[in-house]
Amino acid sequence: MATETGTKFQAVSRLRGTVFEYVSLGASVFGIVLLAALLVYVSIDAFDLANASPQWLLTYFLTLVVPLIGFCLYSADDRQITRRTGLAVGGGLVVSALVFTGVEALVGPIDRLSWPLVYLFVFVVPTTGYTIFAANQETVGGVGFGLLGRLLGGTALGLAVGVLFLVFDPQLWMLAYTFGLLPAALAVGYGQWRPDSGMSSKALPIGIVGLVVAVGLRQVVPMYPTDFIIYIWSVSMPIAAGGAALVAGQRGRTAALSVGLVPLAVAVAGGFAAAGFGLPSKTVLLVLVTAGVPVAVFISRTLTDGEGTIGLVLPILLAAGVLVGALIVDFAGFPAPDPWLDPSYVTSSPSRTPVDAGLYPAIVGSVIIIALVAVLSFVLGVGTAVFLEEYTAGSGWMGALTRLIQVNIANLAAVPSVVYGLLGLGLFANFLGFGFGTAVTAAFTLSLLILPITIISAQEAIRAVPDSLRQGSYGMGATRWQTTKNVVLPEALPGIFTGTILALGRAIGETAPLIMIGAATTVFSAPDSIWSKLSAMPMQIYAWANFPQAEFRYGVVAAGVMTLLIVLLGMNATAIILRNKSEGV
Amino acid sequence: MSSNPEDGRTVSRRAALTSIAGAGAVALAGCTDANNDAGSGDGGSGEQSGDGGSESGSGELSGDISIAGSSTVFPLMTAIAEDFQAENSGVNIDISSTGSGGGFSNYFCVGETDFNNASRPIKESEETLCSDNDVEYVELVAATDALTVVINNDNDFATELTVDQLADIWAADGASTWSEVNSEWPDEEIERYGAAETSGTFDYFNEAVLGERGHTDDYSATEQDNTIVQGVTGSEYAIGYFGFSYYFQNPDEVTAVAIDDGDGPVEPSLDTASNGEYTPLSRPLFTYPSVESLGEEHVAEFARYFVEQTTNEEIVANDVGYVPLTDETQEEQMSKLEDAISQA
Repeated sequence: MATETGTKFQAVSRLRGTVFEYVSLGASVFGIVLLAALLVYVSIDAFDLANASPQWLLTYFLTLVVPLIGFCLYSADDRQITRRTGLAVGGGLVVSALVFTGVEALVGPIDRLSWPLVYLFVFVVPTTGYTIFAANQETVGGVGFGLLGRLLGGTALGLAVGVLFLVFDPQLWMLAYTFGLLPAALAVGYGQWRPDSGMSSKALPIGIVGLVVAVGLRQVVPMYPTDFIIYIWSVSMPIAAGGAALVAGQRGRTAALSVGLVPLAVAVAGGFAAAGFGLPSKTVLLVLVTAGVPVAVFISRTLTDGEGTIGLVLPILLAAGVLVGALIVDFAGFPAPDPWLDPSYVTSSPSRTPVDAGLYPAIVGSVIIIALVAVLSFVLGVGTAVFLEEYTAGSGWMGALTRLIQVNIANLAAVPSVVYGLLGLGLFANFLGFGFGTAVTAAFTLSLLILPITIISAQEAIRAVPDSLRQGSYGMGATRWQTTKNVVLPEALPGIFTGTILALGRAIGETAPLIMIGAATTVFSAPDSIWSKLSAMPMQIYAWANFPQAEFRYGVVAAGVMTLLIVLLGMNATAIILRNKSEGV
Repeated sequence: MSSNPEDGRTVSRRAALTSIAGAGAVALAGCTDANNDAGSGDGGSGEQSGDGGSESGSGELSGDISIAGSSTVFPLMTAIAEDFQAENSGVNIDISSTGSGGGFSNYFCVGETDFNNASRPIKESEETLCSDNDVEYVELVAATDALTVVINNDNDFATELTVDQLADIWAADGASTWSEVNSEWPDEEIERYGAAETSGTFDYFNEAVLGERGHTDDYSATEQDNTIVQGVTGSEYAIGYFGFSYYFQNPDEVTAVAIDDGDGPVEPSLDTASNGEYTPLSRPLFTYPSVESLGEEHVAEFARYFVEQTTNEEIVANDVGYVPLTDETQEEQMSKLEDAISQA
């Protein structure tokens, strides 16, 4: 048709396409830019950067940021990246100074911002992130940041374990470990050493019997070692043994012994020494073990591989930077900011005076709720997803039931969180008698809230497992249970982890359901059991946001938001690590 | 400093000392630590009473105290609870800010909390609910508040209002523009920011200023003083009211209106509220302990401590921004409390 009437090609206007492209670009950066602006202000408030003198900023820029960027550039070893970084860091200085002074002259002063801060957030932070990313692709950077990550992650893990032991009974854990987990683990180990002994299959019954024995003994045994010894025996030693076992397979007994024993000895010594400095010895022990063993394993592996060993100096470089910076600031007397988010903020209780106010009880409350929610929603969510994907028929009454459940789950995902709060209040707090505002009630309520998200993401992950794998397993004579256990779940695990942890991120920030179930706004001491009434970070932050003193609304609230974000980022990082690990298997 | 680091330190030192002593013994045999109440906490029996007594390094009292109620009394209660908990680390106090009415009907009168804070006396319907559930209580005056009416800093015409004018502004059948209140004032819409209906502040304002005329619906209702201040700073023709403490801490953000109850305009302040000049908007704040809970020693001790602190100028006036009780009123409250404790 067109060929008959049309005699020449017409130029098609590209205007609409181009406009659409840029509108899409605008849409995609709109939220990010606004959120970034908010976070910049929150961090300025939380760390009191508005009162940081330019000399103070410059000192730490030179002692901390410049060496870090230098390390990254050395590791990336790419002229183009070096040039770009130099341009951004050098040019950004001029640009931000000029633009900011211009804006201030024309429009008026901008509250709590100065050009060094603009330079810091607009140029230095993104450039540093970019060089870290680039360095991580290469061996030296990978080693450096791998070590740094293990240090930070291990510390966070140690603190989290310490927090959980505030609530969960260490004595029961010791008994369960001694009589259940340890024999079971030994059975598995023996089974792998002598495959024909058949010990592996006996591990599960041994473990279950041990756990039952432990629960029974806990009721009758009146005397226990101190918590410190319990932590050495039932937390530190297994972690050290695990680290040693990882190394033993590849690098022989001497390396394995040193990887296991050195951090253990350091941790125990550190735990004793900590008491002398007024630090909590149990926490120090846990942190040194959880950080020390992975670090030792990592160093041992790096030294054996012999590649990028120079990267191991990164933590020392950063620590030295902080130290030198602090010395210079102290010596020259530069006015330093007084951050709201400091060690005392995360270790002390709420207070009526902003300077003394702390978030400790709420942090512990949130961590405990999230730990319970993680267990509950993982078990329930994965269970439902496996049933819906693997065990249901497409037709008959079973098929109809499946479709009904499916539709309901999809709809439940859209139910407002306040409604789940009401459900929790009626069902868990009142009917089942779990108590108003207790950790158990909160955890069950939040688990229900995120359950639809967990189920749907787990279903997607299971659905993504290729059918050929299942058929192959069936073809070899495996039952449906064996196929699910050995083929489908391991394959789907990364996706399930990702979905679950993203859902947990939503749970940790929820306030409305907690208000409904009667969680406290403020508590002054950390909960000591899962049945005690607790507060959570969002509840306390919300209460502070309404305090009359401006220091609460700007400083303390900002510090709380930063803490919440850091915990959230920590959780997401865990998700990524778990996903990568389980993908590697 | 607040209680926790000290608490952590004492406990950890003790634990460390026992650990050091213990480590020596464990080299030969298993060392034991007998200060452990067997089977506490892990039974899953849903027990809520404080069983962490063995952890309390200092102080003999132990147990939980649950407090809910008025957001106006919340800062005062947290301030006093903070000090009490610092001295008695075995006592766990939790405080929720639910509004006076919400606290009575959802928590206190069903027996869930030990104290309920209120910025107005308990209502008849709440009394019935409490007696239906056999919850007995005693009414204690906690402090005096000067309910503060605020306007924008640029507003120079309404800095003094008579009670009738205030009623004209806030009544259901009242004015919609400033010129309707006073013909010399600008012909601009009145923007109103006030307390939500669940709030005791709303009830008090309604009763003291409006009487039978009823509160207008044409206003932004909130429990958050912050929201009211933001609304009022945003518009020259806005007006709002809330408890005194917010204005006390932020006197530059908004302007307080001087109220004329027939004896000339009086500005809200700690002095005018305590000497009775600031009428009709100075009001008592209350807390209601449950008599049954007062039977427990740690609750009774906390209630005594609370009444003792109500004359403490440092806490009540400087830190929180309310008017402390006079010694005379405090004695009355204390004898009322002691009566209730002896009944319990």
